[in-house]
Amino acid sequence: MTPRRYALPLAVVALWQGLSWAGLIPAYKLPSPLAIAQGLVDLVLVGMPPGHRLPSHLFYSLYRVAWGFFLAALLGVPLGLLMGWSRPLRQLVTPLVELVRPVPPLAWIPISILWFGIGIKSAAFIIFLGAFFPILLNTIAGVRSVNPTLPEAARTLGARERDIVLKVLLPGSVPSIFVGLRIGLGIGWMTLVAAEFTGVRSGYGLGYMIMTARDIQRADEIMAGMGVIGITGLLIDWGLRVLQRRLLPWK
Amino acid sequence: MKIRTLILAACLILTLGIWLPAAAGRPVRIAYLQADIHQLASWVAMEKGFYRAQGLEVKVAGIFKAGPEEMSAFAAGELDMGYVGEAPATVAVANHAARVQACAQVNTEGSAIVVAAGSPIKTVAQLAGKTVAVPGHSTVQDFLLKKALSQAGLAADKVKIIVLKPPEMIGALRTGQIDAFIAWEPYPAKAQTMKVGRVLIASGRIWKDHPCCILAVDQRFLKARPQAVKKMVKAHVQATDFINRHPQQALKIGMKYTGMDADTVRLAMKNVNYTYRLSVDGERQYVEFLSRLGYIKVKDSRAFVAGFLNTKILEELTGK
Amino acid sequence: MVLELKGLGKTFPGQGPGQEVRALENIDLALAPGRFLCLVGPSGCGKTTLLRIIAGLERASRGQVLLDGRPLEGGSPAVGLVFQEYALFPWRTTVENIEAGLEFKGVDARTRRQAALRYVRAFGLEGFEHRYPRELSGGMQQRVAIARTLIMEPRLVLMDEPFGSLDSQTRSELQNFLLDIWRSRNDTVIFVTHNVEEAVFLGDEIVVLSPRPGTIRARIAIETPRPRDRTGPESNRYRRQVLDILEQERRSGPGFSPLPVQEEVS
Repeated sequence: MTPRRYALPLAVVALWQGLSWAGLIPAYKLPSPLAIAQGLVDLVLVGMPPGHRLPSHLFYSLYRVAWGFFLAALLGVPLGLLMGWSRPLRQLVTPLVELVRPVPPLAWIPISILWFGIGIKSAAFIIFLGAFFPILLNTIAGVRSVNPTLPEAARTLGARERDIVLKVLLPGSVPSIFVGLRIGLGIGWMTLVAAEFTGVRSGYGLGYMIMTARDIQRADEIMAGMGVIGITGLLIDWGLRVLQRRLLPWK
Repeated sequence: MKIRTLILAACLILTLGIWLPAAAGRPVRIAYLQADIHQLASWVAMEKGFYRAQGLEVKVAGIFKAGPEEMSAFAAGELDMGYVGEAPATVAVANHAARVQACAQVNTEGSAIVVAAGSPIKTVAQLAGKTVAVPGHSTVQDFLLKKALSQAGLAADKVKIIVLKPPEMIGALRTGQIDAFIAWEPYPAKAQTMKVGRVLIASGRIWKDHPCCILAVDQRFLKARPQAVKKMVKAHVQATDFINRHPQQALKIGMKYTGMDADTVRLAMKNVNYTYRLSVDGERQYVEFLSRLGYIKVKDSRAFVAGFLNTKILEELTGK
Repeated sequence: MVLELKGLGKTFPGQGPGQEVRALENIDLALAPGRFLCLVGPSGCGKTTLLRIIAGLERASRGQVLLDGRPLEGGSPAVGLVFQEYALFPWRTTVENIEAGLEFKGVDARTRRQAALRYVRAFGLEGFEHRYPRELSGGMQQRVAIARTLIMEPRLVLMDEPFGSLDSQTRSELQNFLLDIWRSRNDTVIFVTHNVEEAVFLGDEIVVLSPRPGTIRARIAIETPRPRDRTGPESNRYRRQVLDILEQERRSGPGFSPLPVQEEVS
């Protein structure tokens, strides 16, 4: 936490506040840092819409992301392991993956609502789509990047195919799998907020909060909400990195 | 001719070319809400040439799905005048997002809470625990729903309120995603003619004669071109009178702009009062209720209302 | 005989017809138990391919591989293989690497940990039981790799240029270490190297493989008792002998089919 690291951002904020005070930046277009801070307080104490406070919005959003992300990991890692290990499987499934992957998760929203209705299931589905492909592709890459000598060494020590997949390919790909998980979670988090713009049943969610702030013309709360989303995303990624360092002491 | 003279002449012509159209008046940028039969006057004025007859060129700079979005466009300086709900306009002005004034009323009443056709819900109180869709927070409909709930003795959080755009509401009602919705006409009418929904309560029964949509003008535009604004309001008055005198013709225009059939539009228009008279008391109620909901914080509601409603232009035009 | 190779041949398909690569041809070899055989030859002579066939990682195109008189299936821990690049599992600690084969076999955790610790002591790896390969020096990593193979008590130990990536000092240490271990256990070893001095120092016999296609050019018994003097006259003589054969091979070019020769030095 060296002070020098934060010198530039702090200078920008100070300049911004100064320009706002001088009236050079219209408040409704870009609220000043202090106004945004006040907006944050309002989000926590009063809530947006009033009565729906920030901690609850945060909890609901995290809950949706967790669901979508875990489903993506649950399907993506094993499938990635198998596809990395078996060439015929990889050749069979890859074209389907490459067809679906370029479609942005948000484009799925109308279909998702038709299939799953408005609620946690369709939100989780959208996040699943965002997180799944990085997880799958990085797992496959991880398996294929395992030093080919290692499965051979295992074979000479009497390992069967199942041992090779679970005890050599899997641990060997964990670094890549983690990269995929981090990317997938990041994309899932970003996708979530946009997904919440289109409809949320419970009345809670960070995206929903921002959309409501927009309806009620509270630019300060919009930006405070954006800040919360950004910082939360950062913390989640940091958490994964810490986890990675603990699980992979051998790297 | 010498080259220099030629260049000079060209520059002069160019400059005039930029100034003159400005002097004649850039087109007035207006907006309205998508398929909102309340705002029929704007379509009538366009179709019947009431703007053109006064030498005004009008450009539709936006058709919005709900009031708050239109207010954002005002905030961004993209609109000169617009047909919009009184509630979202009030919220935008109170939260210093846009600077507009209401220079004429557009309609009163004209919304309804709709439940599914076969639903057992007979009273507003029975909405407890149900899911109700509104077009957006701080819309007139959101306001009306909360007013209806409070009249029925229900706290607003006893009902699950979700935001949907009106075109999506009927489908959501049909598939059971929501238990009820509140929207502007013609959506309640359409739910009925499609046999998907039935009216639980019309907005006039929640609040009699409640003002709904207004004709808003951006204050900068008003300051720069007051004559143009007066002409726009005159055209609006003419269109409103036309609707009340020639409902059949107005119906046809309504069908064109909403894309809905005659039965639906006729049913919808029955629920709407087309009038241009602004209501001070109505706006005061909006300010009070919106403050109670926590959407706005207004210190002096009287001053706010006086600043928001611009009755002068109407008075000049109609002598009332 | 622990190992018998009968008429072994290996052809790789290559890009198309007429472009096959004949890597090995007519390999006939019998190895008695407890013998330390060194396999030398220039690069591309098929030494590694031969080793991989014996280890079961590749299939022979022709001929047979018999272990203790029975045909060999691939991937049996009865044949151990030590790789040049150690091939340690980077996510496993020293003991976890050593006990890996026992784990695949289904030995319970306690027993295999005890066995692994015995090897840790025997191989001078105390203090490094719970380190990861990246924390070990090259020489230590190779010792772990050898321990991992030997703990399985294989009938035959194959070593593919195991000391190739080490500096000469560490290499000498490990050569001595290997001989000590071998003497106490009496494993049967095939040791592949392109370093003639190493082969002469370590082996009971040397088999020279010639390239393209790989065939046995000569088989020389080294009679000098151990410990051997690397720079002594006997070592030099053997070295000279092997080098001459290799030089001959180099000059006569590809396609030359030699007669298998057993030479003895009087």
